[in-house]
Amino acid sequence: MMSALFSLHWWEVFLGGVSTLAIYSFLYRENAVYRFFEHLFIGIATGISIIMVFRTFLWQEIFKPLLGMDRVIFPDGTYSEPYNKLYLLYLAPMALGLLYYFILTKRYSWLAQIAIGFGLGVSGGLAFKGFINEMYPQLTNSFRPLYIKDNVGASISNIVFIFTLTTALSYFFFTFKQRKGRIAERSAKAGRWMMMGCFGAFFGSTIMARMALLVERLDFLINTWGCNMPWLKVCG
Amino acid sequence: MKVIIGFLTFLNDIDRRIIYLFVAISLAIPLVLNVELPPAEMMTAEAFYGEVERLPIEKGKVVLIAVDWGPNTLAENKGQFEVAIEHLMRRRIAFALITTYPLAEPFMKSVPLDVAKRLTREIPNEHWAYGRDWVNLGYRPGGGLMIQSLAKADNLHAHLIADSLGTPLEDIPAMQGVKTIKDITMLMEFTGLAGALQNWIQFFQAKEYRPPFVHGCTSITIPEGHLYFASGQLVGFFEGVAGAAWYDTLLSRNYPNRLSSSSIRYNTGLAYAHLVVIAFIIIGNVGLIATTMQVHTKNQGLE
Repeated sequence: MMSALFSLHWWEVFLGGVSTLAIYSFLYRENAVYRFFEHLFIGIATGISIIMVFRTFLWQEIFKPLLGMDRVIFPDGTYSEPYNKLYLLYLAPMALGLLYYFILTKRYSWLAQIAIGFGLGVSGGLAFKGFINEMYPQLTNSFRPLYIKDNVGASISNIVFIFTLTTALSYFFFTFKQRKGRIAERSAKAGRWMMMGCFGAFFGSTIMARMALLVERLDFLINTWGCNMPWLKVCG
Repeated sequence: MKVIIGFLTFLNDIDRRIIYLFVAISLAIPLVLNVELPPAEMMTAEAFYGEVERLPIEKGKVVLIAVDWGPNTLAENKGQFEVAIEHLMRRRIAFALITTYPLAEPFMKSVPLDVAKRLTREIPNEHWAYGRDWVNLGYRPGGGLMIQSLAKADNLHAHLIADSLGTPLEDIPAMQGVKTIKDITMLMEFTGLAGALQNWIQFFQAKEYRPPFVHGCTSITIPEGHLYFASGQLVGFFEGVAGAAWYDTLLSRNYPNRLSSSSIRYNTGLAYAHLVVIAFIIIGNVGLIATTMQVHTKNQGLE
């Protein structure tokens, strides 16, 4: 487990441990060390994202073919294939995207609206299609039989499901006044209780997720970081 | 009596840092002492296992794995990803990795290599190699648009062009017969990001074909995962660390010589920590009731 002292890997592990402890120092109280490492993490994550977009997408799939650099050059200076002029069409969407930057000028900010309008149209269309693709199977699945022959468990499960669905939906009827003691009011109340149960499940699972993050970091601190720091002597 | 009341009042006002300390100790115990409790049986993880077990081993077909996780959800998603690709490698089913999340890139390189090395140590006669057993398609920006274009492409080689190292896809053995979405026998999606699973569910389908979906989620989105599982949009999924731990157990049953992964130890720690949290909830409530009763008694005395 222990790597050579002060090697690149040693530094990686050392800094990883120090950063983890710095971030967890927030649990004791808000402090400058925590703030520094928090900003460092955000900065690194943003930097990596920019580099990744450029390296794996913009350069590889846009600029390289556009500049004709995806072709092999032979020793006599000729290319393996002629330049494909159709790649110049890439400039059109790039120009449209660049219109966004006109938002920074007062005089030409209307040009940015073309790009924004295009973006809104595309995302609106996608959202519409996505909603149907995602929700349709769930809607059809909601129509369940209340009684399944020879399967009491499934029958009870379906009854609970239909009860929860109808009562939770009834909670969101805001178009008429719900009179106290009437079925609409009672159903809405039951729906609220059902939703509270659901929120409880979400909250419980959130706590579990946070602790899972901690257990992984503890594993790193004890079994990797501790083993790499000879003065700690965590693992023999 | 005064001492008891004082103690109960103290319970109502325990410093949060004491709770953090107890939670951290309970999580660390299994890591230090190497204690492993058997994980609970998970129906959803079992369904995942069954689907992978039933996958046909065909040349020219791959399993597509969306690795949409990074350092922030590594604790849960890495274990899930490891056991799933280990199962595929053992069955010699080729898989392609892709991500819509830039910070996933380093793990797409390191995790399959680590799993392959571990398997080679376990079975010295066999080897797993990049290009033949798996391929890394890298980070692809564009979210839903990219996923939709992937599903609709009539020639994935022309559409994706190259892997993350710049090697043309037609030169990679695992990808040679993979031309359209119909050559993808299963989609695995591992994420803790909001909206990432929804993007794949919404857009990764073509006319008359949608590969079976399995999913590895973080604990936060378990209730959400059940919605998709009940409707058949997912045919199996991992419920956080617990799902990966149960999958690990299923693998160990079928491959007795394998070493268990970190998921089981993490799951054991989580079980202890849950007990600590429940204990503190009870203690806090006892303290609250005692304080309320004390105030009530005082008010009655004043009246």
